[in-house]
Amino acid sequence: MRSPFSVLTVTALKMYVRNRQVIFFNLFFPVMIVVIFGLINGNGNVAVHLGVVDQAHNQVSQLVISQLQQVKAVKLNTGSLPDEQAALQRGDRDAVVVLPASLGSGPVAIPAYYNAGKPQESGAALAIMNRFVDEASMQYAHVQPSFTLDARPVNSRNLTYVDFLVPGVIALSVMQTGLFSVAFSFVALKQQGILRRLMATPMRVPDFLASRIVTYLVMAVIQMALLVGLGILLYHLHFVGNIAYLIIAGFIGAAIFMAIGFSISGFARDEGAVAAFANLISFPMMFLSGVFFSLSNEPGWLQPITRLLPLTFLANALRSISLDGASLWAVRSDLLGLAVWLVVALVLAVRLFKWEIA
Amino acid sequence: MSIGTSAASGQAIPQTHGFAIEVEGLRKTYGSLVAVDGISFRVQEREIFGILGPNGAGKTTTVEILEGLRQADSGRAVVAGIDVRKEPQRVKSLIGVQLQASAFFDFLNLVELLDMFAALYQRQVDARALLRRVDLEEKASSRVKTLSGGQKQRFSIATALVNEPRVLFLDEPTTGLDPQARRNLWELAQGIRQDGRTIVLTTHYMDEAETLCDRVAVMDHGKIIALDPPSALVSNLLAKGFRRRTVEREANLEDVFLDLTGHELREA
Repeated sequence: MRSPFSVLTVTALKMYVRNRQVIFFNLFFPVMIVVIFGLINGNGNVAVHLGVVDQAHNQVSQLVISQLQQVKAVKLNTGSLPDEQAALQRGDRDAVVVLPASLGSGPVAIPAYYNAGKPQESGAALAIMNRFVDEASMQYAHVQPSFTLDARPVNSRNLTYVDFLVPGVIALSVMQTGLFSVAFSFVALKQQGILRRLMATPMRVPDFLASRIVTYLVMAVIQMALLVGLGILLYHLHFVGNIAYLIIAGFIGAAIFMAIGFSISGFARDEGAVAAFANLISFPMMFLSGVFFSLSNEPGWLQPITRLLPLTFLANALRSISLDGASLWAVRSDLLGLAVWLVVALVLAVRLFKWEIA
Repeated sequence: MSIGTSAASGQAIPQTHGFAIEVEGLRKTYGSLVAVDGISFRVQEREIFGILGPNGAGKTTTVEILEGLRQADSGRAVVAGIDVRKEPQRVKSLIGVQLQASAFFDFLNLVELLDMFAALYQRQVDARALLRRVDLEEKASSRVKTLSGGQKQRFSIATALVNEPRVLFLDEPTTGLDPQARRNLWELAQGIRQDGRTIVLTTHYMDEAETLCDRVAVMDHGKIIALDPPSALVSNLLAKGFRRRTVEREANLEDVFLDLTGHELREA
């Protein structure tokens, strides 16, 4: 004999999978975020745009240009002085260097113009140019360099934006699924009288709630697997974490947001009100909790607040677990923050949730 | 049983002394509003019992107390031999409920829904046989939202039959249906009574009550103001000297409608 709980769970999963709208928002949408943001920021390292005006057209100038082309951080453009200066003024160049006609035939000043509005990029461009000029000078004067840099390769983990993004998007979709799915479905169940009809059967309330919660947790696991899998497949995601830890932290987050979803469904009278309340809660967090950008980019006065948001704790925990291979103990401060939120959310849910429309 | 269900729990059948429902001094208030004001009545086994009354008379509150969906403030209600206040879950397992405007889960077909409902009663059900019983077998793999109004009500009754209930509650089952569908539902109700079940029916249609009900209780302001077979109620009124202004003709517009369009069900 199948138990009411197992039948309710299978039924809820069936309904979930057959609901295209839900599949879109819970699976397709987060995947699109990762794919699109990953494409936009795919190359990670920012190149320096350097313009070179070759007025010498001799061996030395050709040598300088060909060597500059081999510098990976430099995106080299050559052109006439007016063209390059115009490009500099448009902001298309970080610096423009003029190789004068007298290059290679004695000491010469090499004019360089730089974009004062982009100090970092133009500084980098000028530093690269300086190295070339110094080397050329020393060779010209037949001086042996007193100091040389002994560069040794180290295999750093070289995190890309996608590495940062994927755990954040997992946290985001766990939040959205918990909040919206729970609140929308329960308000609809109440509004349409479905809940009332079920209450007229001997169905046990805990069975019903548990079947729904299990369904959303299954959904959260699918989201995590999909996003991590996709990240590894498409963007060589640097995932070194324990997947079980990721799921445990994700479940704690899911529980918080489901409880908030249950709370919303207690006082929202219709689906429009659900959308308003759920967006009011999720939208600020989406941008303040370090899902897409590091919290350190936020103004200092805001950080003490944003560091305490449940989505911040969740995103931080998931990020440490997946990128640093952190254990649950290592992310205990984030988990503690989540635990406090879980207690608050559960108290709210118990107080606000109702079986009937308010 | 003709609808092919099998019970799981081996609980003893409660003794009912011939009454499917016994209500004594039932009372329910919402703040200062007295929704049900100390009513008492009994419904016999295999009876079709009507509860009539204008909106706000207390019909729905009364029925919901009997169904175990609400708690009375005071008084006693025994349904199928079980005290509703003491064992609401046990009452729920012995009754069937068709709620006013009840909806069902989307994204499931009729068979899946009936299987789910049966599981809630810890039973297994032959869903197709049950659908055949309410004339919906060809809709077995359809979803509820594709059904017509009459089909929806028949399906709703099918979900109320998964547990072979002793007592079936029908709340305004024919509201919004066309005359053919209403008659079809009446036949279904009479057939269910033939199976040995008791039916409690609320309705705003007096012709429906007159056709179906063995007895009706008329409620107003939370009280039962009349309780008798429809024919007795009419006789009492006539005995008081009541006469209609215009004498009823041998047929009315509904007869004309049915004569013109036939009795056959339309559910294209």
